[in-house]
Amino acid sequence: MYKARHAWGFLSIPLILLLLFTFIPSIAALALSFTNYNIFRPLEFVGFANYIEAFQDATFRKAMFNTVYYWLLVTPALVVLPIFVAILVNQKLKGVKLFRLIFYFPTLVSVVVTAILFSWLFAEQGIINYFLSFFGIDPFGWLTNTVTVMPALAIVTIWQGFGYYMLFYLAALQGVPKDLYEAAELDGAGFWRKHISITIPIIKPMIFFVAVISTMGAFKEFTLMLTMTKGGPLDASTTAVYLVFKEAFTNLEMGYASAISFILFALILIITLINQKLLDQNPNK
Amino acid sequence: MEQPLIDNNLQKLKEPNNNNKSKVAAQRKKFNKRKLLSGSISYIFLLLITVITIVPFLFALSTALKGENDIIFSIPPQLIPDTITLDNFITVWNTLPIPRYLLNSVILTVFGVVLPLILCSFAAFPLARMNFRGRNLVFMLVIATMMIPGEVTMIPTYLIINKLGLMGSYTGVILPGAISVMGIFLMRQGFMGIPREVEESAIIDGANVWQLFWKIMFPMVKPMLGVLAILSFMGAWNSFLWPLIILNDPNTYPITLGLYQLQGAFSSNTRLVAAGAMIALIPVIIVFVAFQRYFIEAAYSSSVKG
Repeated sequence: MYKARHAWGFLSIPLILLLLFTFIPSIAALALSFTNYNIFRPLEFVGFANYIEAFQDATFRKAMFNTVYYWLLVTPALVVLPIFVAILVNQKLKGVKLFRLIFYFPTLVSVVVTAILFSWLFAEQGIINYFLSFFGIDPFGWLTNTVTVMPALAIVTIWQGFGYYMLFYLAALQGVPKDLYEAAELDGAGFWRKHISITIPIIKPMIFFVAVISTMGAFKEFTLMLTMTKGGPLDASTTAVYLVFKEAFTNLEMGYASAISFILFALILIITLINQKLLDQNPNK
Repeated sequence: MEQPLIDNNLQKLKEPNNNNKSKVAAQRKKFNKRKLLSGSISYIFLLLITVITIVPFLFALSTALKGENDIIFSIPPQLIPDTITLDNFITVWNTLPIPRYLLNSVILTVFGVVLPLILCSFAAFPLARMNFRGRNLVFMLVIATMMIPGEVTMIPTYLIINKLGLMGSYTGVILPGAISVMGIFLMRQGFMGIPREVEESAIIDGANVWQLFWKIMFPMVKPMLGVLAILSFMGAWNSFLWPLIILNDPNTYPITLGLYQLQGAFSSNTRLVAAGAMIALIPVIIVFVAFQRYFIEAAYSSSVKG
C-alpha cells in the first residue's frame, strides 16, 4: 500500500533539518575541538592541544568542579523533595488540585524571570536574610559571596523544578495499589513506615528516571549563571556550559570551546551510563 | 477511605462554601482524631510550600506597585506599599517596546510549536507505519542524536546559520528547533497505536497517501500532538540562549531577551524591572490557566515515556 517514495517524501524535510542542525554539527564539533578555530583566524589543526590546555587551565578545572558541585546540590534535593510533595498532593484533600497547579507553576516561568526575582530575594536586605535574622544570622549578599553563591543558585533551581518532578512522582503514585496502604494501616504502620516499605519500592523506577533527568539538567544549567552572577564572584559560579558560552561567543575561541563541550559531554555520558547500570539492576523496571 | 473524612472536617475549618456530599455524613461516625491531625499537618505543609512558591512573585508584584518613596530592600521587608501606583508599569510600557517583544515572542512561539508538530509527524509517520529500505538506518541515526546534548552542537550550528546568511533572522532562531528527536519518538508512539484497518479502508475509499495522512492519521494522534505542543510551547516561549546568540537587533528580541535587556538597563531601578517581569508573566499565566489540564498531561506523558 505504501511505496518507498512515500516514505522518503515524508522524511525528506525532517532528515535535511536533522542532518543540517544535529548530525553535521555533532561531527563538526568533534572536528573543531582539534583545531584552534577562531572567527578571525585561519583554521589550523592542533591535535589534542585544546584538551591539554583545558586540563591545565585553572578556570576550566574550577568550572568542572562547580558543575559537579552544583549537580550534587541540586539533584539529590530534586530527587527526594518532590516525593514528599507528591505524597502530600496525592491525598484526597479539599483544594489539592489547586495546590498541584500552584506548585507546578514555577516550571513554566522563564529562567530569566526567575533569575531576576531571586536576585532580589538573595539581596543583602532581601527576604531570605530577613528569615535568617530570626536565627541570629547577620545579613549578607548571597550572590556576591564565593561560598554562598552556588547554594543560592541551587536553591533557585530546586524552587523552579520541584513542581515538575512532583508531577512525575504523582504519575508513579497512581500505580501504587490503595489496598496496600490500608493493609499497612491495619497493621498499625505510621506515615514513615508506610511510605518507606510500600511507596518507595514501587516508585523506584521513577526515582531513577528523575535522577537521570535532573542530572542532565544540572550539568547543562547556564542561564541562571549568566543572568544572576555572570559566573562570579571570582568564577565561583562559572559552570562548564557557562565557560563554553564565554569562550565561544565572548572570546570567540570556538575550537577551545568545542573541546570543553566534548569533555562535558563525556562526563554526562559516563554519568548516564552509570545511571543506566543502576536502572538495569533494578528488578522493578 | 480516610480521605473524605478529613475532607469534610477540614472543609468546615477552611472553606465554608461546602458543596459535597451525603455519603460522607455516614462515614463521619468513624471520625478519628488522628486522621484529622494528619489532615491538618498536610495542610500546614501544603500552605508552607505554597508560601515558598509564591513569595518571589508577591515580592516582585509589591515592588512593581511601589512608589518612589517606598523602600524596596529592608529588614523586615515591606510587602504592602504605602503608595500603590501603576506608574512603573506605564514607564516600562512607554520606554521599552513591550508589545513588540511580546509580539516577537508570539511569532517565535507559534513557529516553535507548529513546525515541530508537522515535521516530527512527517518523520514519525513513515517510521511507524511503513516498511522501506533504509528505515532501520534512519531510525538508528535518530536514536544516535538523542545522546548528543545541544551544548555540543551549539557552536557548529551557529557557524552553519552564519554560513547560510541567517544571522539575526527569525529563520535562524526557528530552524534548528523545528524538529526534535524527542518529538519524533512521541509522534511515532502515537502513529503506532493506530489500527491497520484505518489505513486500509481509507485507501479503498480512494484516498492517496497525502490525504490519508492529513485527513485520517494526523487527526488521530491528537493526544500526542497536544503533549508535543505543550512541551514545545514551554521551550519556545522561554527560549533564551539561542535567540541571544542569533538575534542582534533589539527590535527583534523576544520578551525573555527584552527582560534581560531591561535588567541590564535599569539595574538601578528595581521597580521598573519588577513591572517588566510581571508583564512578561501575564501571557504565561493566561495560557497556563486556559490549558492547565494539558500542561499536567504533558508532564505526565513525558514522564511515562521515560
